[in-house]
Amino acid sequence: MYPQPAYTAVAARQTLQRPTPAPAVEPPKAKKVSWSPGVRGYVQRAFDADNAMAGIETPEMQQRLKIVITQAAEAGQLETIDWTVYPLPQHLIQAERNAAALSSTHAAHIANLNNATSYLSNGAYSPERNNKRKNGDLGATAGEESELTPPWKKNNTNKGSLEDRMTGKSKKQDKKQKKNDAFRANNLGTDAHVLEKRKQRFGYTSPEPSPYPSSRNDSPERTGPLVGTCQKIEKSYFRLTAPPAPDTVRPLRILEQALSHIRTKWKNEHNYNYACDQLKSLRQDLTVQHIQNELTAKVYECHARIALEMKDLGEYNQCQTQLRALYKSGVPGRSEEFTAYRILYTVYTCNRTDMNNLLADLTQADKQKSGVQHALQVRSALASGNYHKFFRLYRDAPFMGPYLLDMIIQRERIAAMAAICRAYKPDVSLSFIAQELAFFGDGDSPELDASQQCLEFLCEHGGEAFIDRTVVDNVRFQTGKAIQAFQDQRAAAFRSVDIKGQI
Amino acid sequence: MTTIMDGLWDDFAKANETTDGYLLATTISPEAPASDPARLYNWPKWTNAYSLQTDLRYKLQYNPGLSLNKGEAGAWLDVFTAYYAFTGKLLAAEEAQNAGNHREADWNSVYESWKEVLSAVYRGYSSNVFEAWTIPCLYAVGKYLRIFAIKADDKAAATQRDSGLAFGGLQEEDAFSATSKNEKLEDAARQINRIFALCLGDRNPLEDSRKWALYYTANLLFKTYFRLNSIPLSKNILRSLRAGAADTPPLSAFPKAHQVTFNYYSGVLAFLEEDYATAESYLLSAYQLCNKDAKRNLEMILMYLIPTKLLTWHKLPTKELLQQSPKLDRLFTPFCMAIKRADLRAFNAALEAGEDEFVKRRVYLTLERGRDILLRNLWRKVFLAGGFETPKEGEAAMAPPVRKTRIPVREIAAALRLAGASEIDDGEGGVDGDEVECMVANTIYKNHMKGYIARDRGMVVLSKAGAFPGTGV
Repeated sequence: MYPQPAYTAVAARQTLQRPTPAPAVEPPKAKKVSWSPGVRGYVQRAFDADNAMAGIETPEMQQRLKIVITQAAEAGQLETIDWTVYPLPQHLIQAERNAAALSSTHAAHIANLNNATSYLSNGAYSPERNNKRKNGDLGATAGEESELTPPWKKNNTNKGSLEDRMTGKSKKQDKKQKKNDAFRANNLGTDAHVLEKRKQRFGYTSPEPSPYPSSRNDSPERTGPLVGTCQKIEKSYFRLTAPPAPDTVRPLRILEQALSHIRTKWKNEHNYNYACDQLKSLRQDLTVQHIQNELTAKVYECHARIALEMKDLGEYNQCQTQLRALYKSGVPGRSEEFTAYRILYTVYTCNRTDMNNLLADLTQADKQKSGVQHALQVRSALASGNYHKFFRLYRDAPFMGPYLLDMIIQRERIAAMAAICRAYKPDVSLSFIAQELAFFGDGDSPELDASQQCLEFLCEHGGEAFIDRTVVDNVRFQTGKAIQAFQDQRAAAFRSVDIKGQI
Repeated sequence: MTTIMDGLWDDFAKANETTDGYLLATTISPEAPASDPARLYNWPKWTNAYSLQTDLRYKLQYNPGLSLNKGEAGAWLDVFTAYYAFTGKLLAAEEAQNAGNHREADWNSVYESWKEVLSAVYRGYSSNVFEAWTIPCLYAVGKYLRIFAIKADDKAAATQRDSGLAFGGLQEEDAFSATSKNEKLEDAARQINRIFALCLGDRNPLEDSRKWALYYTANLLFKTYFRLNSIPLSKNILRSLRAGAADTPPLSAFPKAHQVTFNYYSGVLAFLEEDYATAESYLLSAYQLCNKDAKRNLEMILMYLIPTKLLTWHKLPTKELLQQSPKLDRLFTPFCMAIKRADLRAFNAALEAGEDEFVKRRVYLTLERGRDILLRNLWRKVFLAGGFETPKEGEAAMAPPVRKTRIPVREIAAALRLAGASEIDDGEGGVDGDEVECMVANTIYKNHMKGYIARDRGMVVLSKAGAFPGTGV
């Protein structure tokens, strides 16, 4: 059960009935017959489907209900509270959320840290809150307090309690905590005027912990990963500067829906800005909730593919890095596909250190997969200058390999031309070049189209002067004379590799 | 009671008397000397935390056998105080380790306490209290800092494995940040860097300078950075050394051990940058300076020297050289034989067999380029096998016979097939002539062969003189 202080708390009895201590882990429904009808009615209404509120899950409500009943039981108010008008747990939760939404972010942050999260986090901590709330009894004024609480409890300020000593709370925070508790206990989110007062109070909390990660140490209730409660499928990305409020974070189920939603929208609209924004927000929600499962891998894979399609190498590289770490830690996903991409990406960036590290990373199992083998063959073909093989492999690239290869094909074509010019004399046919350099046309006359593309390519790179059209059907390229031109082009092409700002 | 530590204090006194830095370093070493194996265990027996200061002061300041000035004595007092704390941690960790309680062995605090020793020693130098002859102490603290850092990191990695993953910070949208599984080693690198800066910035005249510790410290840093796989940081060290070169004695003036190690690392760094010429000169010096009995070091140097020479001179090591080391023999002999014989099949097999080691050492990509040499050898063989031109009628018999310079691509394709080049197969039982041409084109492009391809005639035409530069043909 929950940790007890050194004494046993016993509420002064008003009736002959013994208030049974609330079982901490059983749902209130399982309580024994000794509950008064008022309490039972309350509980029933709480679980009534008609009273269910959108955005508040049953477990959440249950938790809150448990807390409410337990507190009432401890304070001995089970009989005194008018359960018929007492707000249902879901209403309490809703009101708190509203209050949090109303106040400034600063205050909301504090409010959430103290209110919502403590209620929503694992049950082990609710008794701690209960103990602290002994001073602020439910719905009782100060006068009544002295009657209901046993004398030895009255002086139990939070400073003395073991929990506080353990959590190392400062005196000032204790006072604030007490005042907060008192307020909250008395005004469970119903009175607007009270809400206003509370809002004001939070607005003046200067010695409160600042909304930066260090504040986490001051709110011991928030241990363990955050569990989100936001239900929105779409959510824009905002950079976090502080621990997020749970109602801005989407839980796992919603995130799954969000991913399919984004995917569909991408297919239909191809709006990259939208997709990127949504996906980043998705990634953020996954991170703050410490979720690292198949869904996480799927999200990164999706984002990586979309980035590849749009040639956003910076974003792609980020996703790739994360995927590598995920696969390494055993999360299942399309590791064959993305290892292949990684190899091709490293080929593109000409980063020798990365390539060395990547090769060292590959396992035997990786090397057996056909996608990875293809990428490795591309690497080795290019390393030895075998342009012929490379262009063959280009045609057969699996998955989305062609997108990556497209980025290097330009410079590799130039490199191939440099070699061809050196080696072949006096000239070669245009069709030979078009074939070797993988120019395939489309449409009705692919060969003509391919030749056209090839000519364009040659002209773009200073080869215009060497094209020999004297024989109409057999256009030739004077390799012998073009040596220097293409050598220069090649040097220029390999000098600068733009990795779009992402290391 | 005081007799159990006499060994240490005698050594200390003697070291100070004879200005023997290495002997001095043994007094603060985590490893007890052979002459006094129980030394570390004797520390807690000799004194305790309460009387530590008094006992030390007695030995250091009020010891008639020693003649330390007040500053020196104070500095050594700090050092030994930290050292005492360290021995406690080390003995506890070793005990736990030996008892099989690997979980309990707290190498983290061993590292931290040794760091305190290092700080105390550092202060002794930065306040110019310790004289230059004592710098072997710097060697000792640096060397062991690295070792303890590695131990602490290994331990951290083991515990992390058990408890789960490390997470990135809150501010990131991604779960994994570049987690530091080498946290302590990185910290050690920073500490040793401080020492390096301390040595580099010493303004004392050379006879009394800490600059003599420069290369040892640089080598420690290289070892650390290599382990951390951060090559750029190593380059910083080289840059700093070059910048301070005017005031520093030349490398040749330093102990041979320092020189060999330094040359080795500089060579490897150049190698990784693909600056094979520089790499060759460094690695060659390291090789020549290295003690012939230091087998392991020679092996490590050759590991890089062989690929380097392959690329710069197209030269292969002799059989005798390779047979000196079983590891090198296993890795390189089949590789070199394949290139000499122009046997593609064997080449691929050798590369694959040694792949793991080659990749680990980062020489794989360089060795791959051996294929270029192999192909050149192959074309050369075909050329030589082609025989000579029939001398024209009427030509003087004295004219030396000229080799046939026109080689059909068909012949080259056949040679390739014999050598085991499966890549030229076109998948239908024939040969992809274009692929063959491409391979020849590359050899020409890389200047390994002089000539051209006449595609329409299906011929490779080689230059009449010196078709294969560097091979005598």
